[in-house]
Amino acid sequence: MTGSAIAVAAGTGDDERSLIARAADGDRGAARALYDRHAARVHRLTFRLCGDADMAEDLTQDVFVQVFRGLKSFRGESSFSTWLHRVALTTALNSMRKVRRLRERETALDDARDVIDGTAAADPDLRAALAGAIDALPEGLRVALVMHAIEGYTHTEIGEALGIAEGTSKSRVFDARALLREALANHWEAR
Amino acid sequence: MIDDRQLDQLLNDAARSYRVPPAAPLDSMWAGIEREAFAESARPHRAVRWTLLSAAAAAVLLLGVAVGRYTAPIDRPHEASIATSPMTGANDPYQRTTVELLGRTAVLLTGLRTPSASKPNAELSAQAGQLLTTTRRLLDSPVGTDPRMRDLLQDLELVLAQVARLQSPRQRADIALITNALEERDLVPRVRSAVADLATNEY
Repeated sequence: MTGSAIAVAAGTGDDERSLIARAADGDRGAARALYDRHAARVHRLTFRLCGDADMAEDLTQDVFVQVFRGLKSFRGESSFSTWLHRVALTTALNSMRKVRRLRERETALDDARDVIDGTAAADPDLRAALAGAIDALPEGLRVALVMHAIEGYTHTEIGEALGIAEGTSKSRVFDARALLREALANHWEAR
Repeated sequence: MIDDRQLDQLLNDAARSYRVPPAAPLDSMWAGIEREAFAESARPHRAVRWTLLSAAAAAVLLLGVAVGRYTAPIDRPHEASIATSPMTGANDPYQRTTVELLGRTAVLLTGLRTPSASKPNAELSAQAGQLLTTTRRLLDSPVGTDPRMRDLLQDLELVLAQVARLQSPRQRADIALITNALEERDLVPRVRSAVADLATNEY
């Protein structure tokens, strides 16, 4: 996938600046217009990262609440869309870490049940194997890969949103791809 | 072995098959957003400046005591048990680095939450960058196996990365988000508590 995902989501500069100023002054119509312009994109990204519909809705709501509350202090050092995505990623990653900690505590129990019942999952097909391999990537690599290879963000956009250098984003995607190739080798040869 | 072209094909397919988002329920989400973001009493007023200043001073004082306890000369009752373990105690580079990191991070984060703090942003970001590097080294260290400490370091990594990319002049919106995250996750109290625990060798 090529092109800029954030640029696709962003509106024209002057129009958006006006909406931001009005929304910062409490104009709900302007806020709704900003929301309509960006919400689907944010919802899409949060769902790709967390994989849970309810959680993606909650995260999207949290992101926009934070953004609208912080709009008065938004000075436009970065574009609104970049800032919005930065908030979205920070919010999503923080929440997912909390959830992951809870799930890690539950995993031992689940593993024990699998051993007892003998019901461990059967070998999945290639598509499912790819999904599993993506899910198993370390968080930093997974986020960069999903944003770039699946959602079409540029490395510049990923760097700005994650607070890392563009080169770091590239190397994370490279490393993620290497791990995926390794994880999928057996499934690919067995086709 | 799968090659780059084949992997590209799979990833292209994944764009249509991996965690395909359902249609976003825009109206129902907006109702919640509007209620929370635009309600008159959406946010409780923050503590006044003096309260923050007092909290910051108390935090620095407490931290100083905790670090002092940790680095004090070796005539304490628990010293014998520390000395017998090669990987714990004041001579353990991992623990020493951790204590120093947490101490410096607590001071930085406390300063960030103080509205009157006038430290230039570039300096703040540079400090955060250095602390971020140390945090990542500790996270990568095979010695660091304690899950509580890893959780704390992961949270610090995220916040320090945000502080490190603040640009001059201070981005007030970003700082507000960072301080919100600090409060939400009780990060400063957790750091202070970890320093105190390290001082008594509970990590």
